[in-house]
Amino acid sequence: MAAVKRITKELAEFSNNPVPGVSAGLASEDNVFKWNVILTGPQGSPYSGGVFTLNLILPTEYPFKPPTLNFTTKIYHPNVSNDDKGSMCLGVLRSDSWKPSCKIVQVLEMAAGLLKEPNVDDAVETSIADEYKNNPESFEKTAREWTRKYAK
Amino acid sequence: MSPSRSSRNSLQSVDLRALDYLTSPSANLLCPICHAPLITPVQTRCLHTFCSACISLSLERSSTCPVDRKPLNHDDVTPAPIMIANLVNDLVVLCPNREKGCTTSCARWLVESHIREDCEYATVKCAKEGCDGMVERREAEGECVHEEVECAFCEGAVRKLDVELHYKECPKLSSDCRHCSKSFPNPELAAHKLICPDEIIDCAASHFGCSFSSRRSELDEHLSHCHFVALTPILQLHTERIETLELENKAIRQKLDLLVPPRPLPTQLSGATSSAANDSSSGRDMTSEMQDYTYHLYSEYEQLRSDVERLNAQIRELDVKQDMARFNEGLRYNDEMTGVRAAINGLRMQLHWLVASRREAGTGGAGAGGARSVAGSSASGDGRRMSVDSVRQVVKL
Repeated sequence: MAAVKRITKELAEFSNNPVPGVSAGLASEDNVFKWNVILTGPQGSPYSGGVFTLNLILPTEYPFKPPTLNFTTKIYHPNVSNDDKGSMCLGVLRSDSWKPSCKIVQVLEMAAGLLKEPNVDDAVETSIADEYKNNPESFEKTAREWTRKYAK
Repeated sequence: MSPSRSSRNSLQSVDLRALDYLTSPSANLLCPICHAPLITPVQTRCLHTFCSACISLSLERSSTCPVDRKPLNHDDVTPAPIMIANLVNDLVVLCPNREKGCTTSCARWLVESHIREDCEYATVKCAKEGCDGMVERREAEGECVHEEVECAFCEGAVRKLDVELHYKECPKLSSDCRHCSKSFPNPELAAHKLICPDEIIDCAASHFGCSFSSRRSELDEHLSHCHFVALTPILQLHTERIETLELENKAIRQKLDLLVPPRPLPTQLSGATSSAANDSSSGRDMTSEMQDYTYHLYSEYEQLRSDVERLNAQIRELDVKQDMARFNEGLRYNDEMTGVRAAINGLRMQLHWLVASRREAGTGGAGAGGARSVAGSSASGDGRRMSVDSVRQVVKL
């Protein structure tokens, strides 16, 4: 299984060179296709002090198909769907822009980057994106409140 | 090394992908798809290098370069320069039997021959005549471990190799339960495992999504208030129903296949690559298959409709022709009928005249009248003969 070999390798690489603010590991030892990811809210953002857990699911066709990333912690963010799925909208995760040469660590870096700076042009929750653009104080207030409520 | 030994080659295959490298190789020698050092490197038209197997897999799913997404197909892939192949083949790898204890490391291109001929830990055929077992090469010269010996406890026959394993299940011995660490005789262990109160088991509705698991003794409490368990009957019912529907659907599909032989459609002909890509994504495949079917059925329907229209027109044309023919025939018969009727009328007139003249002749006196009547009667006699003939003809007709 080429996929398993590559994923194991990527996990080993990630453990040796972790991305700041991100920790990741297998959800269960016998399945490399499901990762648990923990993002810590970056300093200076409304998510600061929050701990967000995510599920990273790799398809069996990996790396030919993109992984999916879902927030299990509720988060007030323009790029994360505000439902029980919590799917994260990352440009690179769309199947038409995914390339087999992309790595999981790049995906995780981008996810961490989105917490620092949401991408309103690629928003999944348009109302939150509008609020972020037009009324940043109110956005920050709600985001901070949700972080305190759900991500502690 | 004795000659008999060197001739005994190992059949163990080497998976080059699974090899571990002595030093981590340069990132330039890694395949962008499998992230491992290139194996049988090939180069694309856009000058990217991949393992031959990786790029084939990728092209089956998408006809683009996995690095820059430029259009790419199998013809654009050529073997990479020999230098690249040499660079990756010269990388030093650790023996695949490292975990068994082999400390050899060698260039990658030599590893196959190392396993085949030298590695002490590679599996080879047992040295004993007539034995089909496999052993590691270093043990091949020793006594055959595939011979059967007697178990010291149960007196059953066990292969030497399996003695350790056998002790775990020998009916005369006891083993500890993995969960509650109590000791049970081996035959009873299986039965105990089913009821061991300390075993961690999943909720009864785990296959419906309940992620709860606990020791068996504590599970009852969870079961009493688990929502999934409460829903199990209805979920079970739904699963069964879906299964029967799926079966039914399959049967109907097969029937449809029989009735309408599937015709290759342009979308399916666009190349083996795209059809293989279809296989990979069953969801899209289903819809496209359905679309193909709909399209196919629709064209069939259109064809049938035009057929029916053509037949209708033909029938109408035939009707008109038949009507014409019948009409013509009728006219002819009418003419004939009038002719016949006129003839009959003529005959009747003659008959009347004859009857009248006969009566006249019978009652009339003599003289000129009588002579006239004789002449008349002789003339009428001819006429009568004629009329009798024609009546006979009519009767014949």
